[in-house]
Amino acid sequence: MKRGRGPLSSALYLLALLGVAGCALFPASCGNAGPEKIRITIWHQDRIDVRLILERQLARFMALHPEVRVEQLFKETEQLRSGFIIAAIAGQGPEIVYGPSDQVGPFEVMNIILPLESIFEKEWLDRYDPRGLTWYKGHLYQVADKLGNHLTLVYNKKLVPVPPATDAELVAIGKRLTADLNGDGRPDRYGLAWNYTEPFFFIPFMTGFGGWIMDDRGAPSLDSRGTVDGLKFVIALRDTHRIIPNEADYEIADLLFKDGNAGMIINGDWSWAGYLNAGLDIGVAPLPRIAATGTWCGTMVSPKGFSLNVNITPEKKRWAVELIRFLMAEENQLEAAQELYTMPTHRGVQQSGFVRDNEILRNSRIQIDHGRPMPVVPELRAIWDAMRPAYQSVLAGTMTAEQAGREMQALALRRIREMNE
Amino acid sequence: MRDSQKLRQRLFVFALVAPAFVILFGVVIYPFFYNVVISLSNMNLRHIRDWRIIGFDQYVKVFTEPSQPAFYGVFLKTLIWTFVNVFFHVVIGVFLALVLNQKEIRGKWLFRAILVLPWAVPQLIVALTWRGMFNYEYGAINQILRQWFGLQGVQWLKQPLEAFMAVIITNVWLGFPFMMVIALGALQSIPRDLYEAADIDGASWLHKLTTITIPLIRPVMVPAITLGTIWTFNNLNIVWLVSNSGEPSDQTHLLVSFVYKAAFNFYRYGYGAALSMVIFAILLVFSLTFMRKSKATENVYS
Amino acid sequence: MSAKKKGSEIRVAASYAVLVLFSVIALFPVWQIVSISLRPADRLLATTLELVPANASFRNYEALFTDRPFILWMFNSTFVAAAVTLSGVVLASTCGYAFSRFQFIGKKAGLLSLLVTQMFPATMLLLPMYIMLVNLGLINSYLGIVIMYSATALPFCIWQMKGYYDTIPTSLEEAGRIDGCNQFQTFYRIILPLAAPALVITALFSFMAAWTEYLVAAQILQDTELWTLPLGLKSFESNMGSEWGLYGAASVIVTIPVVILFLSLSRWLVSGLTLGSVKG
Repeated sequence: MKRGRGPLSSALYLLALLGVAGCALFPASCGNAGPEKIRITIWHQDRIDVRLILERQLARFMALHPEVRVEQLFKETEQLRSGFIIAAIAGQGPEIVYGPSDQVGPFEVMNIILPLESIFEKEWLDRYDPRGLTWYKGHLYQVADKLGNHLTLVYNKKLVPVPPATDAELVAIGKRLTADLNGDGRPDRYGLAWNYTEPFFFIPFMTGFGGWIMDDRGAPSLDSRGTVDGLKFVIALRDTHRIIPNEADYEIADLLFKDGNAGMIINGDWSWAGYLNAGLDIGVAPLPRIAATGTWCGTMVSPKGFSLNVNITPEKKRWAVELIRFLMAEENQLEAAQELYTMPTHRGVQQSGFVRDNEILRNSRIQIDHGRPMPVVPELRAIWDAMRPAYQSVLAGTMTAEQAGREMQALALRRIREMNE
Repeated sequence: MRDSQKLRQRLFVFALVAPAFVILFGVVIYPFFYNVVISLSNMNLRHIRDWRIIGFDQYVKVFTEPSQPAFYGVFLKTLIWTFVNVFFHVVIGVFLALVLNQKEIRGKWLFRAILVLPWAVPQLIVALTWRGMFNYEYGAINQILRQWFGLQGVQWLKQPLEAFMAVIITNVWLGFPFMMVIALGALQSIPRDLYEAADIDGASWLHKLTTITIPLIRPVMVPAITLGTIWTFNNLNIVWLVSNSGEPSDQTHLLVSFVYKAAFNFYRYGYGAALSMVIFAILLVFSLTFMRKSKATENVYS
Repeated sequence: MSAKKKGSEIRVAASYAVLVLFSVIALFPVWQIVSISLRPADRLLATTLELVPANASFRNYEALFTDRPFILWMFNSTFVAAAVTLSGVVLASTCGYAFSRFQFIGKKAGLLSLLVTQMFPATMLLLPMYIMLVNLGLINSYLGIVIMYSATALPFCIWQMKGYYDTIPTSLEEAGRIDGCNQFQTFYRIILPLAAPALVITALFSFMAAWTEYLVAAQILQDTELWTLPLGLKSFESNMGSEWGLYGAASVIVTIPVVILFLSLSRWLVSGLTLGSVKG
């Protein structure tokens, strides 16, 4: 009756020993840096190429200050926000959190980040583009070293030698390019492809036709001419001019563009490196101007910066501030701009040769100037959530654009009320 | 039994049961009661630290607040989602286990390895791959429908009903290996001579299936089905990923999507906790009824 | 007699057909993932049905091992998964036995409470779990995650073991008692080997629970050196523009140990141990 479970039992015993030993060897504070060092942690959501530069810069900082050890931890964007909230409320969390400016709103309301205007003196702050300093309710909560996160028109130079400057040109180029190459009755190449089912990617046309998501007081303003005309424009691109695919999400648009089956794509500054690495000869251009309104399509511009955890100890605070000053310094911003094509916030670097002359950065700057800062109020999430259903209904043809404007507004107001009860 | 024997038996039982339950309750009790308390509070964005108990307001909101999409519609969808999924998981799983268990089949290991793959691959990328396969223009499913069957493609992700079907199809694909493995295990517990006796009596395969196989794999399958139902009811991951957070137009949602949105998007922790308690109550009622009907807490040979 | 033989030939042929059909269905999406790992430039999707993508290369696999600490993640995950599997097997096999064989106060409630622990959406449990672990000093430690994972996997495993034990007649324990074994020996030497298939399921399930879990690990583990595979894979993702090539390659490699584990354990799952000879 005894079966050959000898080897299995021994394996299990070995694993048991390993388990016990391991749990003893991995105490709560791992990554021992020696007893004396002060440990600063930064949480961020940077993709890999940005991370590598950050690591390099952190290594330089640690070489300059051997008594400090800086650790960086990547967290995916949503995890960063919710993870930081949970950790900070429990009295823990990293010393520095680095991310886009829209996390400032919820963090401030929950009282988990520190005001910074008493920490950084005015002369230092004046060195930076004011768009990189995020003020909310009268206090400074985030200082950013990168400005952007903005959508631009990215075009394949082989297919589109000269980018369009107006919406009419956009349509014309699109029509020229959209073609059924293999004769199966469906287009294989499109003039333009982009993630148009997502509200964030609709903002350019909303602004181009004169609208914006909220008014000066932070209340939603979704029921506007800008929304309605913008919606109609997108529908026209799909149904009348037929220059965009019938169904496109982020990955499909990305794929079409990478395969050379789309002449243009609307995508953000995070995507340029990927296209360059894919071997495409891309150009970056500002989004076109809408002839009917004379307005340039604007996008949301968001700085990415540093905030301090409210739980930070005074000793660590001193070093965290030192670290922020270091990472915001001229040479480090220049390094990032050169390798990543991100727009720096340091005024000196913004005027420097590379940033002024590089083709991509030049066009990026123009688009940033056409854009508007991303709101930092927590209600922004409610607005995104409210836009989505009506927007997609219009795309599906089950709602008119005018109806959609009203629906979005009503739903946004309701969601905001629910959030703040 | 003498008293000392009884005592020894009690100690034995205690030693067997205690470690597992200590861990379980230690881990679960605090979060559970925390949630009960929060569900009676006004914890949200504005009251994240200074929340206070306000009674059953959150529960009232759960049932009466006009929501987008409508609460009862989503509840119904969740029920359909759960039952369709579990049904196909079990039927396909048991079916494949029966087929695979036959002694004439060669290369069992290869089939087993391939058929367990949907369970083994990381869910995120496979869910996104399925989403890609459902694309109207470029997706593999429509391409196959067009090229092999001459049909026009289905608008999988743009129409609510089709999108719902798409997420169900994906989840059925993901879930049948689990039931298949359970069924394979369950089949081992059936003594061969029962089948041999039935064969001698000239029983048909259907008769053997219904009088021997199905009843005898029940004790092992019932826990899997119960827990499978509970898990499927709350399985947000697949629906979220394949429908890209609820497309089209927020129609593709489960009840638990509301919990996720409330907690992660709107910071309405009180509301989320109350809804979680409601979901919990629904599942509790289901389990109690199911357990009583299948007598799963008892012993099959007794 | 020959009609029966013909009938069984048809049955076997049909069985193979069914198995092949389902194998193709199971394999097709998985093959897509392999394609993702071979495609250049991080393309998640493709516009054609081709099996091997254009310009396929193994560069992603190389990069996985040279540019990222993939081996570290694998080691970490193996460690955690092994610990959870071990605890799952030990605790579920003993606990399930008690529920199967004995009547005691709170037995029904105990069984039901196991189910109850599964009914809560995980989203809402993260905050209290974090607070609890902070207070216990278990944040950023493997002990913390192993405990959490065990708690997640145990309910199913206990129920499963109990269900399986229920199919083993109690006459065997009596026979053991007559032979002079005490209760534990009867359990360990006689009953447990018979429940091998359920042990396999327990082991596999516990392993998978630990190998693939992301949310709890993301909340608890704060050091990059402690990352398990799901956290590592997540680092290939960005809000927009993920490194799909690496993600695909990692997914392929991450699947392999699971399949190997399953194959090696399935010896006992489909052991063909004819209980008939024992149960008769």
